[in-house]
Amino acid sequence: MSIMEYNGGSVIAMVGKGCVAIGSDLRLGNQALTVATNFEKVFPVTDRIYLGMSGLATDVATLREQFRFRVNMYQIKEERDIEPEAFAHLVSSTLYERRFGPYFIEPVIGGLWKTQGGEYKPYIAAADLIGCLNFAKDFVVAGTASEKLFGVAEGLWEPDLEPEDLFETISQTLMNGVDRDAYSGWGAIIHIVTPDKVVTRTLKGRMD
Amino acid sequence: MNTFVNQFSTSSALSVIKKAQAVTDDDEEFSDAAWGSEAGFGSLAKGVPSFSVPAVQDPTSFLRLHTDDHADPNCRIKIQHGTTTLAFRFQGGVIVAVDSRATAGSYIASGTVKKVIEINPYLLGTMAGGAADCQYWETYLGIQCRLHELRNRERISVAAASKYLSNLVYGYKGMGLSMGTMICGWDKTGPAVFYVDSDGSRLKGDLFSVGSGSTFAYGVLDQGYRWDLTDEEAQELGRRSIYAAGHRDAFSGNTCNLYHVKEDGWRFIGNYDITKMHYDGPGDVPGSTKVAYGYDVRVEGRTSSNPPVAAAA
Amino acid sequence: MATASTYAPVGFDFSNQVRNQFLQEKGLPLPKATSTGTTIVGCLFKDGIVLGADTRATEGPIVADKNCEKIHYLTDSIRCCGAGTAADTEFTTALISSNMALHELSTGRKPRVVTAMTMLKQMLFRYQGQVGAALVLGGVDATGPHLFTIAPHGSTDKLPYVTMGSGSLAAMAVFESGWKAGMTREEALSLVTDAICAGIFNDLGSGSNVDACVITAGHTDMLRNFVRPNERVAKEQRYLFRRGTTAWKKESVRDLIVSEEVRPIGGAGAEAMDTS
Repeated sequence: MSIMEYNGGSVIAMVGKGCVAIGSDLRLGNQALTVATNFEKVFPVTDRIYLGMSGLATDVATLREQFRFRVNMYQIKEERDIEPEAFAHLVSSTLYERRFGPYFIEPVIGGLWKTQGGEYKPYIAAADLIGCLNFAKDFVVAGTASEKLFGVAEGLWEPDLEPEDLFETISQTLMNGVDRDAYSGWGAIIHIVTPDKVVTRTLKGRMD
Repeated sequence: MNTFVNQFSTSSALSVIKKAQAVTDDDEEFSDAAWGSEAGFGSLAKGVPSFSVPAVQDPTSFLRLHTDDHADPNCRIKIQHGTTTLAFRFQGGVIVAVDSRATAGSYIASGTVKKVIEINPYLLGTMAGGAADCQYWETYLGIQCRLHELRNRERISVAAASKYLSNLVYGYKGMGLSMGTMICGWDKTGPAVFYVDSDGSRLKGDLFSVGSGSTFAYGVLDQGYRWDLTDEEAQELGRRSIYAAGHRDAFSGNTCNLYHVKEDGWRFIGNYDITKMHYDGPGDVPGSTKVAYGYDVRVEGRTSSNPPVAAAA
Repeated sequence: MATASTYAPVGFDFSNQVRNQFLQEKGLPLPKATSTGTTIVGCLFKDGIVLGADTRATEGPIVADKNCEKIHYLTDSIRCCGAGTAADTEFTTALISSNMALHELSTGRKPRVVTAMTMLKQMLFRYQGQVGAALVLGGVDATGPHLFTIAPHGSTDKLPYVTMGSGSLAAMAVFESGWKAGMTREEALSLVTDAICAGIFNDLGSGSNVDACVITAGHTDMLRNFVRPNERVAKEQRYLFRRGTTAWKKESVRDLIVSEEVRPIGGAGAEAMDTS
């Protein structure tokens, strides 16, 4: 058994037309035992950036606070919101600092960045547990169901999906992916980030 | 990962067997003509089938090295362990309920596995541990039970059938058979349940549950079990217990198969989706309270963390 | 966390070591990091250096990134290809790039390729191979073009054509049969492309596209996705779900538009207020 499978859980993010979607399952387990079915793994960082983390739950909780602290410090010093790319590098450096004693998490970042012209563009990224960034232009996945999610997403994703269509695509990818994974599932949550609003939906997923 | 290496290695399990066979130069010992792919119908009655065992000095310890073993992650034959099965005896017969999930590691390989083996119209066996082992030996047990009927002009008792199986698997003890099964039925003595496993245990009892989800099933089962349960209540208890295991155990779930054994033999009651039971309950079936089984569905609007929809808005 | 903000020492943080060591002793292996199973090459030609790399990143048997960048920037005229643990190649080259920039500012001269090579090998040697970076370093400086390989333990080679990574054998076969002294830019670029393609098609750890970088005195051309021999064909049909397919239980909407309404108060006499 790998430590990454101790608590279970999976995260996914996808790019759409002028929007991003990011979501996770809701299981918190202790190996085979399902302890809770309301454990969200995606957290807001700024209005338009969300961070998802899969892996060891204790590290998810620790890093969530660590990142909140560092983003607050950034915003106080810079007097502006952090942009997704800067945040991705913040996450990456934080993890690489622990190269020889890592946190057992795999982060997934989804957000919108503001161009010079004031337009919002989608941004997603993922990293491994020591902070190797992966900037994708389509989708990123992490967690115990990542192999299954890779497969489903590769088939279902297409470019330039409108927010409502992206919601269906990411939801179906996540639900069908985790339904083939013993350690993930028990419901899911999806955030769709658009320039003027964030829609959060709790999905009705399999409960076994 | 090691399979490729083993194929060409001179010290692998395969080549050890091959070498031994070459030395003895005699295939008689390894004949598997008794039952299986090359068996004719005539050989069925000849008694216990004999399997080819590795032609090494000590086949038991050799097999122990290479077959399913919890402690050794490098063992080469892996068997699925995740499952929940239960059976209990009560005034109205025997209830047998099982889940339908098969896993390979964390991968859910199937959600529609039949884990109740219909040995004959009066006997049921459950499947936990090695699916192939259970299927093969319990089907074989069916043949022997039929032969018993023909020889003795009466049906075999559940006690005898289970002992037959128990003795049989005991003969292969330590060679990697993996089964945890309940032999359930109705005979002259009334309803009967026997637990038989590949270690050689054979236990008579009122109530058993086997598999990774058994602890969860026992929790519900013990709480609701009485001898004088009505048929409907008993069926509901079986369903509810499998739901609990399917919900909490990562390696059990998908659907519940429910059987009821009575004096005139077993009857298949139904197949119930566990997620459907969570959100809506088992549907309009005898014994159902028509309330959803899911905790958060039942307590909706009654806890601070799960407030009424109207209040949350 | 109480002391987090006051003083943070530079370098690696080992504070999770005790916990992770404990977990490892309990039989829980460390999860695998992203590695670049990689083909990276470099080759000398008449006027400079050509570097090449594939663009696949793997996590065990999974292709984690189909189009990653393995040719890292060190200075304007020095680049470095990385193979091995992806995070290590990324951060090692970023660190040396930063130090090279500082070195350039303090000396007031264009830094040399040997300087970068020495910085890299000294860092990798210090970590005794624990920082898993296998590098191909190339560039042009005042002393001419230079091409090095740096192994994870810190040993280096200086050769006219080099390969590294899991596809190094396939790529080296191409170089051994095709390389000659004094090639033109076009010849060298095509040889490097062939070498990387040999890795892409014959090594399972390498794949996708060819990145190339041509460095000559005074000019560097970064040719990102120079050849794309593995373009995916467009899907002929699409899996678009009808809106409303997915059942959901709860929805909340966070509005990000801050609507501001300015309402003057004080009525008609407001302008006449005496502020003296």
